[in-house]
Amino acid sequence: MNETNGSPEPPKAAHLVEAVLLTSARPVGVGALSSASGLPEAAVRSSLTDLARRYSPGKSGIVLRNVAGGYLLSTNPACSAAVERFRDEARPAPLSGAAYEVLSCAIYYGPLTRSAISGVRGVNSDAVVRNLIDRGLLAEVGADHESPGSPALLDVTEELLIAAGASSREDFPSLETLVSEEELARVRKRLRIVGDGSPAELPETP
Amino acid sequence: MLDPSGRALSDFTVELDVYSGPYEWLLALILKDELEIFEVPLHELVSFYLQARNPEALNTLERDTDFAGSAAALVLLKSRTLSPAPADAEDGEEEEISPEQLAEKLTRYLMVRHGAEALRASFARNAGHHPSAHLLPPRPGRLQIDPDRILEAARRSFSRPAEPPVKHLGPITVTLQELASVIHTALVSGPVPYEELVRDMDRLRSAVAFAAALSLAHEGHLRLVQPEPLGPLTLEPAQ
Repeated sequence: MNETNGSPEPPKAAHLVEAVLLTSARPVGVGALSSASGLPEAAVRSSLTDLARRYSPGKSGIVLRNVAGGYLLSTNPACSAAVERFRDEARPAPLSGAAYEVLSCAIYYGPLTRSAISGVRGVNSDAVVRNLIDRGLLAEVGADHESPGSPALLDVTEELLIAAGASSREDFPSLETLVSEEELARVRKRLRIVGDGSPAELPETP
Repeated sequence: MLDPSGRALSDFTVELDVYSGPYEWLLALILKDELEIFEVPLHELVSFYLQARNPEALNTLERDTDFAGSAAALVLLKSRTLSPAPADAEDGEEEEISPEQLAEKLTRYLMVRHGAEALRASFARNAGHHPSAHLLPPRPGRLQIDPDRILEAARRSFSRPAEPPVKHLGPITVTLQELASVIHTALVSGPVPYEELVRDMDRLRSAVAFAAALSLAHEGHLRLVQPEPLGPLTLEPAQ
């Protein structure tokens, strides 16, 4: 309250953005923040920069995250033990190696069918896919009408981007950078492509 | 102490990345395809068992036997699942794959696997974040609305009720006009009792014949004579 004339001071732009973010459990995009606060997008972005500075891990128990195409206020991971004790909840069971591989398939090759995932991994992945759908990390986003039976197409969800701390699919390292030339050369050498052509020692499979 | 239920491993529990709980439930989940056998590190199961094993217990032999039997079954199941399906090998039409194609497949898999490792690291880095508001409580005086209930109500509102099955009715084989014609023919030789008219007809034809008689009587083509209520009904030609 302004003490000189008794009328309330208009809130600052950053305060409006901060208030909207506080009430949302999902990432909020710049457009939605602009619409809710009545501020131009440039002002929203400027406010977000201020808030990111204020809510940085070294300064606060709350951090501002840029995830899944929006902004989300979350607790600082350094305080997670206290939060989990207070909420009396345990973290969900960690995912298995097979589950991360299926998610990796969906990130880099999605949307794709269950059989395509199994094709990349070399083993049936239906049970893993079912588990990931139950956890909300994968979702059916359509159907492959060109394949017999029009199997469902699977893709990653907003939940996955939030869990991985990624703003979008582009935030993940590109496939080409994941495997070094030396490693590829080793694979080819093991397969004896240059030699008699008979496969020999194979890399470890799941 | 011997387990009265006859299940020696009923108190044996395991702690794996993908599952935590009784060993017997783990077996059940695997058999029901709720958990993939690839995800279960069998060597860890053996380690857990050896740690939990008490050589002094009365039922040690029974427990060892049960565990060895189930663990051997898991090894067999895992190895069979990893092996190509027998049908593929027997039909002799297994798709030929060149070393180059194999190298390409392995490269692709290797990339996905490295991507999975990077993803695991990302998940680990971000595991401690909790969103600012998990569930907003309803504001005082406001009705709390469950989105699932709204969805269900919308589904009911916009869906058409299912058509009742009519297959058992069969095709319609009789018409009012047809039965009216039968009645006309019968009346040529004089009055006809209704019972006699429908003697050889099924229930559907009898009903339609009655409707036809009513209709003809209404139009004045015949007279319906019934001396007493619920008594015999006679159809007579109109004067």
